[in-house]
Parts: sequence; C-alpha cells; structure tokens
Amino acid sequence: MRVKIWGARGSVPAPGPEMNRYGGNTSCVEITLSSGETLILDAGTGIRTLGFALSPEMPRINILLTHLHLDHIQGLMFFPPCFRAESTIRIFGPSSPEASLEQRIARYISAPLSPVEVRELPCDVSFLDAPATEWELGGATIRAEAVTHRGPTLGYRITDGDTTVCYLPDHEPALGSSLATLAREWISGYDLAHDVDLLIHDSQYMADEYPAHVGWGHSSIEDTVTFAHRVGAKRTLLFHHDPLHTDGFLDDLHLAAQDAYAALGGDPESIDIARERSEVVVSPSPAAASSGLSADAVAEVPASPTA
Amino acid sequence: MVEEPRTPPIAQKPLELILARNLLTSITTPAFLVDRTGALLFYNEAAGALLGIPFEELGRMEPEQWTRLFRPFTDGDGDGDGGGEGPVDIETLPLTIALRDGRPAHTTLTIHSAKTGDHEIAASAMPIVGQSEEASGAIVIFWPLDEDRAREVTTGRHEVVK
Repeated sequence: MRVKIWGARGSVPAPGPEMNRYGGNTSCVEITLSSGETLILDAGTGIRTLGFALSPEMPRINILLTHLHLDHIQGLMFFPPCFRAESTIRIFGPSSPEASLEQRIARYISAPLSPVEVRELPCDVSFLDAPATEWELGGATIRAEAVTHRGPTLGYRITDGDTTVCYLPDHEPALGSSLATLAREWISGYDLAHDVDLLIHDSQYMADEYPAHVGWGHSSIEDTVTFAHRVGAKRTLLFHHDPLHTDGFLDDLHLAAQDAYAALGGDPESIDIARERSEVVVSPSPAAASSGLSADAVAEVPASPTA
Repeated sequence: MVEEPRTPPIAQKPLELILARNLLTSITTPAFLVDRTGALLFYNEAAGALLGIPFEELGRMEPEQWTRLFRPFTDGDGDGDGGGEGPVDIETLPLTIALRDGRPAHTTLTIHSAKTGDHEIAASAMPIVGQSEEASGAIVIFWPLDEDRAREVTTGRHEVVK
C-alpha cells in the first residue's frame, strides 16, 4: 500500500508561511492499493489538490468519510472529479437515524453555503452507509467502527494482502479513562488498530493543551502514543494538527511524542508526523515487536508536487 | 465492487458500552452496566460502596452469578420497605425489561451487601441502543431508600465496616 497525505490539518484550514512544511489543508489521505485502485480517506480541503492529480480515466473513486465535520468534507465541493460527467464516485460514511448520508452532506452542498446542489453535480455519485461488518473494496478489506469523538464518527481498518493501515484522525480514546491501565476490550478503536503496520492517529494537543480541551474529541500526544503502544501499532503517523500549531511547534510536538513513546519502551523512530504531500510505502513487517518497527519496513519518500 | 459483508470476530465492546462505562466511572450515583445478555460488565465505586465489594474484585459475571451474590428480593407492595417476599424473578427485573422490551423500567427491591447486609433500593434501568439499533446493553441506576445510606454511597463518606 502507498499512503499519501494531502491534508493533515484539523478543525480548519491553516494556510500561511509558518505552516508551509506541514501544510494547511484539512484531512485527506490517498491510499493506493496493490490492485492499483485508490481509496480516499476523508474529503477535507486536501482533496481539492488530490483531485487534480487523479487520472481522468480512473474508472471509479471511493471516498471513505470518518464523519461529517466540516474539516472532513469541506473539499468535496471543490473536488474536480465531481464536475466530470464521466466520473463515478462512491462516498461511504457513518449512518444516522436522523437522515441519510446524502441528506446530511447536502446541508453543506446546498444554498446558501454552496452555489451548487448535490443533484446538480454532473458525476455519477452515490452515498452509502458504511457497512457494520467487513466489506471488500478495490481488492482491500475494509472495516469501519464507531469511535470516541463528538457526533457519529467512524474509524477505518484497511487490509490489503498482508498489510494493514488504520485511520483514526479524530479520536479521544482516553476520555474518562486511563489508556495505560484499561482492559483492551474497553479501549475505543482497539479492534481497528491492533497490530496494524501503520496507524494514522489524532494527535492534536500537547500535554499542557489537553486539559482545556477534554471532551472535544481529540487526543494529546501522550494518549496517542499510549494508544499506539497498547494496540501494538508497528508505525504511527501523528495526524490532525491543530490549526494554531506552526511548523516549529509541530517539530517540538513530534519530538515530545517520540520521547513519550520511548518512555513506554517503544522505538521512537516508529513515531512519525504527517506532512502534506509526503508519501509512505507500507509493507508488512513480519518480525516487528508490538511497539516498534524496523526502520526499513516503512520507507518515507518525499513526493513531488502534482498540482 | 462492494461484496457480500462478513462478520469479523469482535473482541472490543461496542462504543456505546465503552462510553457508558466512562459515564458510570464519573458519577457518584450507584450504577450497573450489563451487556445484552444481562451479564454484569461493570459497576461504579458508589455501587461498590453499597454492595460492599468493589467491581475490581469480582469482574464480569453472568446473570445467575450476580443475582446469587446480590440476592435481589422483591419488595412486596413496592413501598420501599423491603418486604422480602422472595427472590426476584429475573424476568421482572428492570434490566431484563429494558433489554427485552427496549424501554426504561423501574422498581423497588432489596439487595444484599457482602458487608452491610440488606438494603432497600429503587432501581431504574434503561436500554443502550447504538447505531446497530439493537440494545447492546443496559444501565441500571439505583438509589438506596435509606437516606443515610444514600448519602454515604454518593458522597463517599462511609463508616468503617468491620
């Protein structure tokens, strides 16, 4: 699997020169499967530039939405394939007893917030509740489960052959509990994340920022690395950067997370941080310890800008 | 293509039960959490104070285990005086009604504490229904009808029980 970050920011886009290295676009991750098919995780503003990079000949596009907060859907209205008649787009997301996925997304893609309505999009678009059980998509096995965040929110586990990635961009598993001591069956997201080759996880706050944000649905870096340690993630990508965190601050946050993980007995080199346009090639690590990974099992290479 | 779904083995509790446990941990009203089969998954510190034993010493229990231990008895006329007419038929317990009928239920009864004997309580159960739209469990909140006892379990100010 190849994982490319098109937006790693949380809450709201954060452009500006002090954000250049990590980027200002909100959540969007492209996963290229061994079959050659593409999965798109979330449709934050990063999906706009991803849309320019996708081949117009791509037969179908699958988008997996974790939830419908604006930072995860804001780019949909500016996703170029939406405006091509030949595009087939399937959008999966959390179900709700209140309204269909299409109706809920249409609250954003409709007047007065939008100049176009969902029904006016020329592409062939369908909106599907993510099944409550595992299903196959593009040759990969997908599993979606509700996780701790504000409002109905899914996390995803994607298995392609022997390789597994877990995506939990908005997640507060330590809310009201101590992750270090909690039995694993009581940890939100455990089943999705156990023994994954790559865990992409919320890490919005430093330890001193978290007390003022308890219950907001996001994690401190200490909780993120504790979660990674408990689930035995081989490698972790810190994600969903706070819009106030500049490049220099995120450098410090990354180091603090590595130190916290080392204090738990993990390999600090297995804790990385998401940078817009960076690319990770994920392969299975047969003998990796539950809390660490050999450096050559996952290689990160800079990606050349495509838009 | 979207293919036929498969059901994977689930080890982790449903999110709504995880959040319910977190809530129970944070409140000082005695409360139980059971799964869809009525098995006891958790009770909080206030419940532990009332029952005379912390949950951590017991762990998960099947319905027949915890009913044998805590001996819920009917309060004959329901006036809270703990008439002790006999063991409660598990089918009439509020939590059974909540799980079976998917609605809240309430009663008064007597339960047994390992350290302080029998207590009259009022118990209210409500089903927990997640995105699957089926009850994955129930919360049972109970109140000691003895005012002094109620104050003790909700404030944490207990007499030393010898």
